[in-house]
Amino acid sequence: MTNIAVSSVITGREDRDAGTEKDVHIGTRGLDLYYGEAHVLKSVSFDMYRSSVTAFIGPSGCGKSSFIRCVNRMNDFIAGARVTGELLVDGDDIYAPGTDVIALRRRVGMVFQKPNPFPMSIYDNIAYGPRLFGVTDKDQLDDIVRRSLEWAALWEEVQDKLGSSGTGLSGGQQQRLCIARAIATEPEILLMDEPTSALDPLSTARIEELIRDLKKDFTVVIVTHNMQQAARISDYTAFFLMGELIEYGKTSKIFTAPDEARTGDYITGRFG
Amino acid sequence: MMSRFSLQTRRSKDRAATLLLYCAALLLCAGVFFALYFVASRGWQVISWEFITEPPRDGMTAGGIWTPLVGTLQLTFLSMMATIPVGVATGLYFSEYASDNAFTRILRLAIRSLAGVPSVVFGLFGLSLFVVLLGFGSSMLSASLTLACLALPLMITASEQAFMAVPKEYRDASYALGATRWQTICKVVFPSAASTVVTGIILSVGRVAGETAPIIFTGAAFYTPGLARSIFEEVMALPYHIYVLATAGVNIEQTRPIQYGAILVLVVLVLSVSSLGIWMRRRRL
Ligand SMILES: Nc1ncnc2c1ncn2[C@@H]1O[C@H](COP(=O)(O)OP(=O)(O)OP(=O)(O)O)[C@@H](O)[C@H]1O
Ligand SMILES: [Mg+2]
Repeated sequence: MTNIAVSSVITGREDRDAGTEKDVHIGTRGLDLYYGEAHVLKSVSFDMYRSSVTAFIGPSGCGKSSFIRCVNRMNDFIAGARVTGELLVDGDDIYAPGTDVIALRRRVGMVFQKPNPFPMSIYDNIAYGPRLFGVTDKDQLDDIVRRSLEWAALWEEVQDKLGSSGTGLSGGQQQRLCIARAIATEPEILLMDEPTSALDPLSTARIEELIRDLKKDFTVVIVTHNMQQAARISDYTAFFLMGELIEYGKTSKIFTAPDEARTGDYITGRFG
Repeated sequence: MMSRFSLQTRRSKDRAATLLLYCAALLLCAGVFFALYFVASRGWQVISWEFITEPPRDGMTAGGIWTPLVGTLQLTFLSMMATIPVGVATGLYFSEYASDNAFTRILRLAIRSLAGVPSVVFGLFGLSLFVVLLGFGSSMLSASLTLACLALPLMITASEQAFMAVPKEYRDASYALGATRWQTICKVVFPSAASTVVTGIILSVGRVAGETAPIIFTGAAFYTPGLARSIFEEVMALPYHIYVLATAGVNIEQTRPIQYGAILVLVVLVLSVSSLGIWMRRRRL
């Protein structure tokens, strides 16, 4: 974290599409997460920047999904889950008492690791969020549905069957439907948990394109097990290991000259 | 050698147990079918359009079962009006709101045991609460509310299970989009659970329609000349009508065919409602 700030000061160079580093969108200060006795995140502190893509990498079970579920407080639903420390969104601690969790979740969209479309039509799946916000105008909804599906590279496949059930789609299509549903409400932060794990290379390329498009307006956090993908689309990379943030910095640096030997080992696949 | 021997004994034990259970099931089915046959063979001659649509006449020794049949439908309908909202709301509370603590565990246990309480106890409860304490008197209202209490445990359990069966992923997706708990219930949980809840309602109807004990003290009439026109009137009911015909009629022997006819109608009514419920439940799973 510090080395980014230092390096950018020294070089005096800002990555143009990476957002300004002064503009912290999500920050954590000594964030700990427990599931009952299990200590899942251990004193995590770092900043994620507005209009940037941050990739989370790390072996299975290291706490990547758990971390992003902290950001929209979805861990609230897990019995025994407990968070200490601070998680700041736009400078406000979202775990402070009195936080409006509903309002928070409207600003922070999420694509789950497992596709979870509602058992309703494709159209209603996508219109679900906008309708919650009070959009009732048919034309406006049609517009949102179409645009979201186009963004998520699903429009061509489903344009003729918007009325059929979302659960009847293939796994990869369901994944893209969930992406479309998440962006339909235009959240300022988008959390994506392995959004392309079930997709073919073509759809993956479309989603990656989407992510690059999105970051003009949104802050994107993406969990991925695909190192090439992390290198391709992210501006920053965070490497987690057993609940600890081992290293965080510019993707270009993490992938070429990481400070930690363990980071390099993991990226090059030398890690168990 | 030893192990083969023990395997054989285990096999024959297994076969014996299967046979025993099979016989038990067969015996039970035989009993049910005999009862059905017994009723049907004696009741079917009197079944006619007039039997269904005419009120009892001549001190209930002639005529049909129109009055008690409609009375049973009225009681069932009214009791469902009370059971459905309360039962579904309580099921929702248990599934969506109640946290798992000592208090809710005791509540759940109480409801489960309530389902096993004999119906006559509900009758006495209804007598003291609705008839006497609340002053509804012996009336369709009191009887319906008593039946509603009887069906409530079933309705609560059925709807709780229906709501619990809604996958967590649906709720997660809804909450993550910024839905409130109530929005999630209305838009996701309830629609997904609705058909299972309807099955619970139908099973409750089947439970309520054939009950006698809860209504004897609370609003079932020995005889009324016509249909009840208000919920504060007493009402004839098919199960109680059968009981009356069999035990307290003017001429019991003479009314035998009517009795069996009435039983047949009631049995067919309850069986078809329950089978519909069971069929719907099976189809869901
Ligand atoms: N609901 C839960 N209750 C208890 N423990 C949990 C729960 N969810 C996750 N964990 C535990 O928390 C740890 C981190 O899990 P998490 O799902 O965050 O890992 P991950 O990094 O996303 O892994 P993967 O790459 O396989 O998705 C694991 O040890 C897991 O067993
Ligand atoms: Mg995960």
